[in-house]
Amino acid sequence: MRRITEVFGGRRNLLFSGLLLALLFILLLDLFFVHHIFSPFVYFYLCFALVIVFYGIYPLYVSRRLTRYYWDRTKRHHLAVIGLVFIIFLVAVAIFGPFLTQDPTKVDFPNKNLPPVGFSAEQSTYDRTTGQFITRETPGTWLHPLGTDDKGRDMLAMLVSGTRISLQVGLMATLIAIFIGLIMGVVSAYLGGWADNALMRFTDIMMTFPFFLLLVFIVFIFGPSLWFIILAIGLTGWTGTARLVRSESLSLRTRDFIMASKSLGASDRRIVFHHLIPNVLSSVIVIATLSIPGVILAEAALSFIGLGDPTVTSWGLVLQAGQRSLETAWWIAVEPGIMLFLTVLAFNFLGDGVRDAFDPRSQV
Amino acid sequence: MATNNTILQVSELKTYFFTRLGVVRAVDGVSFGLRQGECLCLVGESGCGKTATALSILRLVDSPPGQIVGGEIKYHNENLLRSTGARLRQIRGNRIAMIFQDPQSSLNPVLTVGEQIMEPIRLHLKLGHRQARDKALSLMKQVGIPQSAERMAYFPHQLSGGMKQRVMIAAALSCNPEILIADEPTTALDTTIKAQILDIFRELKQQMNMSILFITHDLGTVAGIADRIIVMYGGRIAEAGSTLDIFDQPKHPYTWGLLNCLPTIAERREKLSPIPGMIPSLIDPPEGCIFHPRCQWRMSVCQQAKPPEYVISGEHIAACYLYQKAPASAGL
Repeated sequence: MRRITEVFGGRRNLLFSGLLLALLFILLLDLFFVHHIFSPFVYFYLCFALVIVFYGIYPLYVSRRLTRYYWDRTKRHHLAVIGLVFIIFLVAVAIFGPFLTQDPTKVDFPNKNLPPVGFSAEQSTYDRTTGQFITRETPGTWLHPLGTDDKGRDMLAMLVSGTRISLQVGLMATLIAIFIGLIMGVVSAYLGGWADNALMRFTDIMMTFPFFLLLVFIVFIFGPSLWFIILAIGLTGWTGTARLVRSESLSLRTRDFIMASKSLGASDRRIVFHHLIPNVLSSVIVIATLSIPGVILAEAALSFIGLGDPTVTSWGLVLQAGQRSLETAWWIAVEPGIMLFLTVLAFNFLGDGVRDAFDPRSQV
Repeated sequence: MATNNTILQVSELKTYFFTRLGVVRAVDGVSFGLRQGECLCLVGESGCGKTATALSILRLVDSPPGQIVGGEIKYHNENLLRSTGARLRQIRGNRIAMIFQDPQSSLNPVLTVGEQIMEPIRLHLKLGHRQARDKALSLMKQVGIPQSAERMAYFPHQLSGGMKQRVMIAAALSCNPEILIADEPTTALDTTIKAQILDIFRELKQQMNMSILFITHDLGTVAGIADRIIVMYGGRIAEAGSTLDIFDQPKHPYTWGLLNCLPTIAERREKLSPIPGMIPSLIDPPEGCIFHPRCQWRMSVCQQAKPPEYVISGEHIAACYLYQKAPASAGL
């Protein structure tokens, strides 16, 4: 038992791998025998949650002193705290919101183009009895607090659904990109020589691809599924991380503690996973936080030009639908726009705060 | 001259660094033996090959640019220069441990002190978490870290330099190594802490019968703990002998120079006299004896050939043509 634990590098890793395997097993069972009780997304989330709990919350809980230190440093940035609060709110909305709101796809033509509560807009409706169009002021109702779109769908429900989509894309694509970038960077720096050269030239090639064009191309070939969009963004967005991690690992590699750890008998694998990666993790967290908004915007942009997944109600899709009726029903385009704006801003603020907290060079 | 209790025998070790400017002969034919329970000191100026010698023993010389090009390092009849990576990892930290100069940078900033002391314990002794923790606690007590249970959870930046060096020593001692290589362990510390750390080494030697290879540039530090001293210059041994030999009857002009640099209380000196000149470039060393450009006693022969090691008496040897009439030794 102890030997198995040693191979995995500790009890925590063992438990994590075990749970991951169990999850995979259930997924296979679901795919081939029970037939799709949950969507594959659910499994991905559970995976994600496992990673967060085992390698995010658990270490933070164990070293409470360090947690408090980082929190104190992040707290000094008021904007970062506001950003964090907003992000927590978004996550809560994404998880629980869809159960509380109406069906975002339910079409209700009589109630189309309703303005948000507190606003009113001129609406021309066809009066059956007179056979004429009547223009009248329609006030917003509490039944649709944020109004409805040109097909009578509830804006609030659509925005909540969009929150879920945006966070899904943002978190998962970033996770994939960060993971690839981290491994590429550390391995490249640690091995050095021709391996370093090969990996970095590959990174250069990836960097020269016009990212958005590639995205459009992939969507065009494989069809506009949210999965492919996430994978495409994740598989192309790791280059910056790889470069940064490599340069940081290169300078770490020459530090005495790596030599000291070698002199105590640590293997290469142990040095990479136990000494190099934990040291670059703080910058990786910063890049991750700062790259999420970019990914969210990329997905919105794809949806906006009509290459997004048409089966999910994302912010970009609503925005695109709203721009046609900007003159008569401004809220349809403005509301998802505001949400995008606030989300991107919140992640950027948080990223700045986290960077200042993690970067010892910026000590005030 | 390998006696029975010699546990580490270095013979004709040559470690070169192949840089863009040329080949740096950092260690150029160094031979010595380390015995069970003795403290052997390597003394010399910066850049004389002390650290390169120590790193070569554990095969930790960065390659490229460094490479051990010749010689033999025998640890209990096993030539470490021929050992596989896996075997070396078994020896490092377990049988031969090393302590580095700067405790500030030798500890991983993101791991707790406890984790770092426990690392070699878990790597080599295969203890469970609980036992490893207990062992780490007792080690911390042994090296004099107060409130050790609480300090286990500290990060390196929360400890002072002396405490950090104690942590390094605790980690190096964790598997009861036979040989402890200490590369300038007191250089980065202030004087009072230095004395305390030296006390720890003295205890280790006496109580655990550990062999210590102590590397320093400071003859004053050496006097208190060394059994034997090797004075290195330019990648070669200048003089070697017991502590008494070196301090009472130094033979090599370089050793005279080093001793003249030491302040003494007994004699009243107006000024300390430094050795004139600079340490030579090891890429393009002077012909003959490397020390001859700085030597007041140089003779014409010094500029032509490298001096062999002459036996002065017993273990006392000096690589200097001043002792040409004495028989040449086969190496200490």
